[in-house]
Amino acid sequence: MESNLLDKLTILGESAKYDVSCSSSGANRAGMGRIGSAACAGICHSWTADGRCMSLLKVLQSNDCVYNCRYCVNRRTSDAKRATFEPHELADITMEFYRRNYIEGLFLSSAVRISPDHTAELMLKTLCLLREIHLFNGYIHTKVIPGVAPELLHAIGLYSDRLSVNVELPSSGSLSQLAPQKTPEHIFAPMRQITRTQFEQKTLRSAGNRDRFTATSASGWNAEAGDGFLEDLKREVAAEAGMRNLPALIDRRKHYKEKFAPAGQTTQMIIGASPETDRHIMKTSEALYRRFSMKRVYFSAYIPVVSDPALPPQFAPPNLKREHRLYQADWLLRFYGFTADEILTEDEPNLDYELDPKIIWALRHIEVFPLEVNTASFEELLRIPGVGSVSAKRIMQQRRIRAVRYEDLKKMGVVLKRARYFLTCVGKYYGEKELEPVYIRDRVLRESREAAARFSGLPTVADASEMANLPAPSVNADVPLLDANTIRASLSGTKNGAQISMFDALAPAEAGG
Amino acid sequence: MDYLYDGSFDGFLTCVHRHYYAKSPREKAEGIFVRDAYRGDLVRAAAFIETDAEKANAVNAAIAEKISGFDLERIYHVFCTETPEKEMKLLRYIRLGFRRGPGVGLLHGDPIVFEIQKAQRRLGTEVNRLCGLIRFSVVHSAREILYARIEPDNDVLEFLAPHFTDRFHSDPFIIHDLRRSKALISYGHEWYITELADEGLFERAADEDEIRALWRGYFDAMAIRERINPRCQRNMMPARYWKHLIEMRGE
Ligand code: SF4
Repeated sequence: MESNLLDKLTILGESAKYDVSCSSSGANRAGMGRIGSAACAGICHSWTADGRCMSLLKVLQSNDCVYNCRYCVNRRTSDAKRATFEPHELADITMEFYRRNYIEGLFLSSAVRISPDHTAELMLKTLCLLREIHLFNGYIHTKVIPGVAPELLHAIGLYSDRLSVNVELPSSGSLSQLAPQKTPEHIFAPMRQITRTQFEQKTLRSAGNRDRFTATSASGWNAEAGDGFLEDLKREVAAEAGMRNLPALIDRRKHYKEKFAPAGQTTQMIIGASPETDRHIMKTSEALYRRFSMKRVYFSAYIPVVSDPALPPQFAPPNLKREHRLYQADWLLRFYGFTADEILTEDEPNLDYELDPKIIWALRHIEVFPLEVNTASFEELLRIPGVGSVSAKRIMQQRRIRAVRYEDLKKMGVVLKRARYFLTCVGKYYGEKELEPVYIRDRVLRESREAAARFSGLPTVADASEMANLPAPSVNADVPLLDANTIRASLSGTKNGAQISMFDALAPAEAGG
Repeated sequence: MDYLYDGSFDGFLTCVHRHYYAKSPREKAEGIFVRDAYRGDLVRAAAFIETDAEKANAVNAAIAEKISGFDLERIYHVFCTETPEKEMKLLRYIRLGFRRGPGVGLLHGDPIVFEIQKAQRRLGTEVNRLCGLIRFSVVHSAREILYARIEPDNDVLEFLAPHFTDRFHSDPFIIHDLRRSKALISYGHEWYITELADEGLFERAADEDEIRALWRGYFDAMAIRERINPRCQRNMMPARYWKHLIEMRGE
């Protein structure tokens, strides 16, 4: 291997590292005659100095970008060092790392080199080499370049376990300000294609159709042309690898792989570079989950790495507390049956930094409580702070046999420190005083501060001294990339600027679905 | 009386058999030790219990039948750990099991059961960790082989076999437990465990150092300076494993 490979790998790894999703979960595939398997639980291989799990080789194909997103180190006008992997270089590195058990698979992303299609072709070639020549069967997560041709996206999807298209920013206004070359349509078209292809794949399979899967015209592009394209590519890759034809594997593939992104799609949003409220962000993610059946919406606290007069000071600490709270709210959305409107109201559009969103909701709706654990429905149990889905299930189970007593709750995993203010057990209330939001808030806060003091060193949310070093807990005071007025101006003509989501850019038919 | 045995699982089961069929209370087990590691105190009597496959099988079958297959597996798992005095702890668990039947595993409140659960969990944790933390090198003997060295707390080799055999099925590989001088050797879908002494077995492939340098460079580049948190890193990846981790400057 060439000596400049290390430089390339460092540059292109460095550029990719702010991508948050490390999970290699969702696809469970035992090895089938080629190297590799993708384990379902996701295996961590190492941990970086900042404590993140490393399980995938996370790199860009290229960081040589023709776009000029204002928040990005690789934008055209920055003087970052540039590098581009030849497909065979990247395929070789991935294989060598994978064999040595350094990694579980590849997370491939890229800047826009020359054009979205040119870049996608480079990535596709890398994937094709891995899957067809090296017979790599490990996990592959590919980031889709906005504006890519549907045929390329389809081929990439067939080689990938998971796809993601970054939504980038929570509103179309911020997008046009900060990433002017990316339009909402460039982002939503691939998302839509992925959702549809997966839907079709599912219906075809469940109808007992064991034939090779091909997208139908409902995906909005010519499936036959796409297939032809892929065959041409395979031939080309085989020729470059010095083979007259690809190994007989191609035939075998048909029987078991040939599945389009079996682990689904995810997306990612940058938080704190633009002035949207948390409520706005949650509404956007809610819509993303519903409309595109996203597996996850990732939030990434904006890290100011670019110096620009319009940007926050370089190396200002990223707002991790906000990111953390957003993930908690996201959890409520996905697993606890909350809606974005319940978690955050127009009057209180931002998450509380001191307490988690679930307890905040409970305090705001104190009239619902206390709930009797022996009669409340499953959905109601989930609303009690300190009761998770596992403990709620256990409560339901035991209730069938005999009444749940207060002593049982702890064993079932209920966090009584919080829960006791919000429930009764066989008619008895266990909080110290009456149900009073200000009092409860105070108590819970004090307790979590004490706990924080005991575990000093671990950053906890209620650690007051640390709060002092962070930006004030108001979004607009967070030194956003854009000031709120710019955004509002760009959103003018609508009733309430803050309510606009990216989805307003979708065609009306889409917005309804 | 102390029982001494050869360290094998069958040997341990033979001890259990002996305990149950002891002719007098004095001959019941007070301690069970691997013979080579035994340091007697001259006060207690000790007897070497010869491993007897037939007796071991009888105990094996009795556990599976009167307690459960799940518990038999659990007993074997705990036997493979480095838990101090694991033999006596297991004997107590087996005795409790014979009295309580298949439900014994659910007596979470019982200290005997709790100990065993904890030990089993430790084994599971280490196996899962190692699935990620083992680092292979490409070496040459007659042909190219993937070779890894580990020094695990517990005797985990056979529990690693299914994962790595699935992962590498066509490539031959060796996982070498230096602490126990044994190795898991796998080729195709077959694997076996054999004794293997340390050192100087293989020659590294020509590009091995180059690949390691690439990995180290990549690893260092991936740390986000603004979020450095060595404590978290150490929590997830305990320092005792670093010795064999390329990226932590091991090997
Ligand atoms: S497209 Fe935008 S975000 Fe992506 S690399 Fe280029 S400048 Fe950066």
